Amino acid sequence: MKKVMGLTAALGVVMFIMAGCNSGSEKEEAKTETATTTEATAPEQAAPALNDAQIASIAVTANQIDVDYGKIALEKSQNPEIRKFAETMIKDHSDIINQATALATKLNVTPEDNSTTQDLLKGQKDMNEKFAGLTGDAFDKAYAQNEAAYHDAVVNAVKTVLIPNTQNAELKSLIESVVPLLDHHLQMAKDLAAKFQ
Amino acid sequence: MVRWQNMKKTMKKLIESVIVFAGVIAILMSCNGNADTVKNTGPQRDTVIIKLMAFNPDTLSVNVGDTIVWINQDIVAHDISHFPDRAWHSDTLNPKDVFVKVIDDSSSYFCSIHPTMRGLVTLKK
Ligand SMILES: [Cu+2]
Repeated sequence: MKKVMGLTAALGVVMFIMAGCNSGSEKEEAKTETATTTEATAPEQAAPALNDAQIASIAVTANQIDVDYGKIALEKSQNPEIRKFAETMIKDHSDIINQATALATKLNVTPEDNSTTQDLLKGQKDMNEKFAGLTGDAFDKAYAQNEAAYHDAVVNAVKTVLIPNTQNAELKSLIESVVPLLDHHLQMAKDLAAKFQ
Repeated sequence: MVRWQNMKKTMKKLIESVIVFAGVIAILMSCNGNADTVKNTGPQRDTVIIKLMAFNPDTLSVNVGDTIVWINQDIVAHDISHFPDRAWHSDTLNPKDVFVKVIDDSSSYFCSIHPTMRGLVTLKK
């Protein structure tokens, strides 16, 4: 009996040490990186400020719209590059929505409808109508061009409106961390659109 | 006779303790992989953090047999793929997922989902 206890204790020590060294190596290089400056805040602050609930609504809607565009592309396009790009948009923007809704739930923030959200939805409706009338290369070209224009507009809005207005530090940090991803999407979309000139 | 048996017991206990002690030392040494102060004592372990659409560090110099652990701390999924042909690659790593690879050669790698993300593993001379 004593022997069993001795071995159990020894095993416990071993596991403790192993757990210790795992977490050590994972934390080691996790530097905090703060993104982007907020120099362009002055003009926007004159406009009616958005609260965090409205910002959450805008963030989720903006991402959902690009997921929806991606789904239309998968329905309509046979072009492998367009399809791969659309799949990446669906996956990435769905991941962001998941993170944003999880954080909003944790922070007890209920996304609140507002005029910016409505403008985004209106833009989506117009674009969907345009897409509906296009097939083949014409659709692929319109989709790629819209992805470039849409990401350009969203990156701009995130930097100049959403980030400067966000009050909660965790929400601000999440939105800031989306910027490099949007920049990457924008570059990919521009490269894709250039192939359809 | 009794004495002999006691001695046997003591010896057995002693041997057990030595084995456990050696095991603990071995584990401690193996998990010191990242410490620069430790002289080369077998395979090392390095960590690459994936965050904000980048591999940190993006270049690692290792020995054959060393292990690299990639941890996705970003907000979206990525993968680790040999550049440019994906001769080896991880599964899709969702946020918080980890990919572990024992290095057998130098290799340039990228994320096949976000091809602008690039990294490099070189071999120490
Ligand atoms: Cu990636």
